[in-house]
Amino acid sequence: MSVALLEADALVMRYGGVTATDHVSLRLNRGEVLGVIGPNGAGKSTLIGLLGGALRPSEGRIRFDGEDVTALAASERARKGIGRTYQIPRPFLDMTVRENLLAARFSLHPFGSGAQARQACDAILERCGLADAAQWPCRELPLLRRKRLEVARALALEPKVLLLDEVGAGLVDHEVSELIELIGSLRSQVQGIIVIEHVLRVVRECCERLLVIHFGKPFAEGSTKDVLASHEVAAVYLGTAHATQRDHDATTALPGDTTGNATAAPVATAATGAVRAPVLELRGICAGYGQARVLDGVDLAVWPGQVVAILGTNGAGKTTLSQVISGTIRPTAGTLLVDGHDVTGLPAHRIARLGLAQCLEGRRIFAPLTVEENLLLPARSVAAAVRAERLERVYALFPDLKERRHHAGTAMSGGQQQMLAIGRALMSQPRLVVFDEISLGLAPIMMDRLYLALAQLRQAGMTMLIVEQDVERALDLADEVHIMEYGRFALSGPAAPIRRDPRLRHLYVGTAD
Amino acid sequence: MTVRNLDLAAAAPPRPMSRLIAPAALLALALATPLLSDYALEIGFRLLILLTLAEAWNLLAGYGGLVSLGTASFVGVGAYVLTGAVNQFGWPYWAAIAAGGCVAALLALGVSKAVFRLRGLYFTVATLALAEALRLFMVNHQGFGGATGLFLAVDPPGLRHLFWIALSLVVITTAVMSVATGSRFSILLRAVRDDEDAAAQIGVRPFRIKLAVFMLASFLMGLAGATQGLKLGAVEPYGMFGVQWTVNVLSVVIIGGQGLRAGPAVGAVFVVALSEALADYPALHIAITGLIMILVIRYAPRGLVGLARTRGQRMAPLS
Repeated sequence: MSVALLEADALVMRYGGVTATDHVSLRLNRGEVLGVIGPNGAGKSTLIGLLGGALRPSEGRIRFDGEDVTALAASERARKGIGRTYQIPRPFLDMTVRENLLAARFSLHPFGSGAQARQACDAILERCGLADAAQWPCRELPLLRRKRLEVARALALEPKVLLLDEVGAGLVDHEVSELIELIGSLRSQVQGIIVIEHVLRVVRECCERLLVIHFGKPFAEGSTKDVLASHEVAAVYLGTAHATQRDHDATTALPGDTTGNATAAPVATAATGAVRAPVLELRGICAGYGQARVLDGVDLAVWPGQVVAILGTNGAGKTTLSQVISGTIRPTAGTLLVDGHDVTGLPAHRIARLGLAQCLEGRRIFAPLTVEENLLLPARSVAAAVRAERLERVYALFPDLKERRHHAGTAMSGGQQQMLAIGRALMSQPRLVVFDEISLGLAPIMMDRLYLALAQLRQAGMTMLIVEQDVERALDLADEVHIMEYGRFALSGPAAPIRRDPRLRHLYVGTAD
Repeated sequence: MTVRNLDLAAAAPPRPMSRLIAPAALLALALATPLLSDYALEIGFRLLILLTLAEAWNLLAGYGGLVSLGTASFVGVGAYVLTGAVNQFGWPYWAAIAAGGCVAALLALGVSKAVFRLRGLYFTVATLALAEALRLFMVNHQGFGGATGLFLAVDPPGLRHLFWIALSLVVITTAVMSVATGSRFSILLRAVRDDEDAAAQIGVRPFRIKLAVFMLASFLMGLAGATQGLKLGAVEPYGMFGVQWTVNVLSVVIIGGQGLRAGPAVGAVFVVALSEALADYPALHIAITGLIMILVIRYAPRGLVGLARTRGQRMAPLS
């Protein structure tokens, strides 16, 4: 067998308690396009970081063209011919588009002809559809063109291997076609390409082989056709891998609860009848960063006692939505109401005072504080007796936390940190908790325990807004579901009918069929 | 951090006309030197030294994103090296000044491994710590005269002569700045400033680029420090390693406009003119400088030059 172009051998990457990449091996042959797919938080971008040199693996080796490059810095690997793009574009903002490419050129050939370099860069810009923007400052480039710039900049390096990290996300249909065409034309120029993608059309039409990663581990590998046809892979993408087992857990752990959905609807309707205004209401909310409009007219109401789930793929705008609700991002249009009062534009801490608690993506545990100190923070101003009582309630929900109450908050495993984040949100005795992607980066068993806790909270009548990637778990828990796509709700309704709706699969897996 | 809020125009090539302004101004100043009074020479000398330092700092912070509070360490090293070279080895002034710059650059090289491990504000704090550590060392170490400092064994040159030296420093600085901000090096430098990790991913070696610019700026600061030491005829640690060098340079660039080519010049003229106008009221001078800094940072984050430019752009469609 000939020497592989790029070869990774049992890569392991650990961040504190989280293993983002767990013994992943891959082999990219000359002239091949390899696709890497998997749910969010599966460790795909980490893998790109490891291959590109931005991250050092905790274990394992990487060989490029037969040479061990594991110890080389990112800049040295780039000079050897490994070009990568960033999932969230990172252009040099205060430079022009052409200068962004020239930086790669000049670092590679510091004494080459300037005219030639400019010509080569302009040719790449032309190919990537950025020729008209060559003189623009990058700051003025909208998001999708920044994604193109990521590809163009990597090409300016004259790479042998190209690592493309979700360059197709957020593209509309004809743009996806252009991207597929571009990747096809690159085959003659670079010796191999690794594509990480959620847009399945790109994967299907560009890649010969696929590697599926799930929870940081290799889940499946094979020809594109076989992998995409596999039921296990479809299940992993929709998050149903452990569905049967979990139902069993839920029923045994919660005696008396005649499984989620049956009791859910009455609770919600009873609640709506009793009150005049929803706890939280969004009317026509629009928001974005700079030129990128992430939310495009979102209407949402959460009634007391209700559990509402918001689902959607990466980049659909879910996290932005939860940030608008918390007040960290100010909407560009629309109104945010709490108990029927307009709170649009109020700072985050004022919104929190109204009884809205957040459990943010990424957990945000205060590292220098112990578990108990982290928990006590939101309840500072409460009488000691009440505080102790709330603390006991949280400890009852998560016995793990009680055991580790004097440990540093960040010294625990990812799942325990997530428990702490949930517990902390509950300590302020909120009337509504927003859970943002609490299952991200967690082992299945841990997700089961967290969702069990959420089910208990729901039994206790807690109002919850759940922002999730994991469709099945969210559907199990929620009364009402909204599915987000391109900054809008593409599909809304009670959980049970949504689960059977064929559009769910279509929307979530992108263009599955 | 405001420092990353840089101007887009810095990225665009300067217009041919504006490229001639700096050489023309320097030429005019050189031609006028024989006519200047002692007072004008005194002020002019101060202005030129401050301008050299501000240009160097602007290169480091405005173009390289390396916000340093260590200016004083390089100024001080330059001044002490000059004094040592003249006293111990009897070197001529020009060689001693050059030596001052070179040793300052070597100091930058020596500390680079340590300070570049830190990024952003942490780098800033590390450079401040470096300056303070050097000052305390010079105060307490008897080898370099301790707290009393050293005297230049020979008489310093005349004021007009010193003015010429300072003027040539500014000429050198302008040339260095033109090359460093208008060449392909500037593209690499700005790439590292904007996103060090992304720059590494396209093959730029951030450490080398940062080291090059750090040494270059330190060299210029060392030259300025040596020239200042030559004028004073005596160096002592409180003055030459004092934090006021750092603060003065910072205020010049912030008031003028950081990351802008004309920023340091405008800022230096403004700061020197202000200090002359308020020379009789030192307390008032400090208070007013502080107030101006606050106003500039709040309302004109790109300094006076940036303010003038946005005004100009707003006026342009009308005319």
